[in-house]
Amino acid sequence: MQSCWFGDVDNGKCIPFSGDAAAYARRVREIRTSMDALVPPDWKIAAACGICRDRAEYLSLLQKVCIAGSEQAVREQYAAKDVELLQMVRTLDEMDTVINVLSERVADWYQIRHPSFSRKYRRTPAHMLVKSVSERGGGGALGKVATGITGLSDTRTALAKEVSARACEVMPNTSALIGGLVAARLLSHAGGLKALSRLPASTIQVIGARTALFMHIRTRAPAPKHGIIFQHRRVHNAPREVRGKVARVLAGKLAIAARLDFYRGSVVPEFIEKAQARIDLAGTVQGDDKQ
Amino acid sequence: MIHIGEVLVSKGEGGVYGERMLDGYRVWDPYRSKLAALYLVGTGPELVPDMKVLYLGAANGTTVSHVADYVEVVYAVEFAPRPMQDLLEVARRRKNVMPILADASSPEQYAPLVETVDLLYQDVAQPDQAAIVLRNCAFLKTGGHLILMLKTRSVDIRKKPEQIFQDTLDILMSFGITVCESTWLAPYHQDHAAIVCTLDHPV
Repeated sequence: MQSCWFGDVDNGKCIPFSGDAAAYARRVREIRTSMDALVPPDWKIAAACGICRDRAEYLSLLQKVCIAGSEQAVREQYAAKDVELLQMVRTLDEMDTVINVLSERVADWYQIRHPSFSRKYRRTPAHMLVKSVSERGGGGALGKVATGITGLSDTRTALAKEVSARACEVMPNTSALIGGLVAARLLSHAGGLKALSRLPASTIQVIGARTALFMHIRTRAPAPKHGIIFQHRRVHNAPREVRGKVARVLAGKLAIAARLDFYRGSVVPEFIEKAQARIDLAGTVQGDDKQ
Repeated sequence: MIHIGEVLVSKGEGGVYGERMLDGYRVWDPYRSKLAALYLVGTGPELVPDMKVLYLGAANGTTVSHVADYVEVVYAVEFAPRPMQDLLEVARRRKNVMPILADASSPEQYAPLVETVDLLYQDVAQPDQAAIVLRNCAFLKTGGHLILMLKTRSVDIRKKPEQIFQDTLDILMSFGITVCESTWLAPYHQDHAAIVCTLDHPV
């Protein structure tokens, strides 16, 4: 028996399916076709079946089914919890870039306005300078741009909080280990929770260190010890000699956490407790590797 | 194929992606569409009004809309939801575009929808392009045409594009597919090749 979208065909006999376009689309998703003995649907059989009168009607009905099915599939994919988080964290990282670039530009511009001004010996980071320019910059374009950047920075801070909160919701175990923001960045690099949950720990360890990794593969440069996970305090605060080890242990636990997040979707306290202890142990210089 | 002077065009409702119009025809830009580039660089199979096409890797429906201007029906398979949103919009305005959100490497997902086609067109950025095309040959009628747009940089970045081109030709021929034309798409597309084949017997 061959099943196609409009009905089941058995030895030339056809059992038509009826319903609206969405019902046909649902049926298509449930049909399991074997490609070995494939008999593609034929409009003449559909006509004999009473589905349509002619080819034009067949195509018009089929198009309704295709559109309904694809619309539904797109909706379902977008409804996944991680899809919006992905956009949020990418927006956040792009805002950072934009804010930095504009701040440097405003600082340059300000120096032209004030020929005697120099940032040397002042330790004024660009964003502080931008703030003071926006406060005292007057009504000119320079002041407006500086005010714009300050506004953008405030939005960025708010967005960062939202990303963090959302990450704790979408990936509770991963977030518990390295914090929502870094967890969300891992997610963004992997391309989704499903993709992240399928990555090996060794990949998670060096996600975000692409240049260093390929430099290592191509030349004799040393292998990168950490990528994005360096942003986590336990990695960057670890003593230099154990930093690689902490990164490796952390990545191993993250790989498990990501799988728990994807397949279980809820927080697993006993795992987190044990994992935290293991990572902390790796951070001590004497930490036993085998434990 | 319709040409106005040197320019490749198609006949249909314009404004799909801001394409230029010429004497009421839609200009088919070879820099945006690899299929248009093939028709300008090489020959390619003629698109005729009663043709049925299975289009793998439909993306935003830019090329799909031009193909749909020429043929009877296009089954447009696309995997990613974002471009599918655009493709759906194209389908709502064109009666002969069938949008299908599915993975071209598992044709059983759309087997209940797609009839036997005269032309199988594939433009997917996957490392196993030849394997995907072979899996989809079940939809292609004997004597039908097959166009494979080879993105050599998506197959393997470490290998030479020429090497990948030759490897793909060898795989296709080892399955008894007749290659009638193979060409690089320069100057319109870098490191992209088009392979046109005919299916003389089922794979």
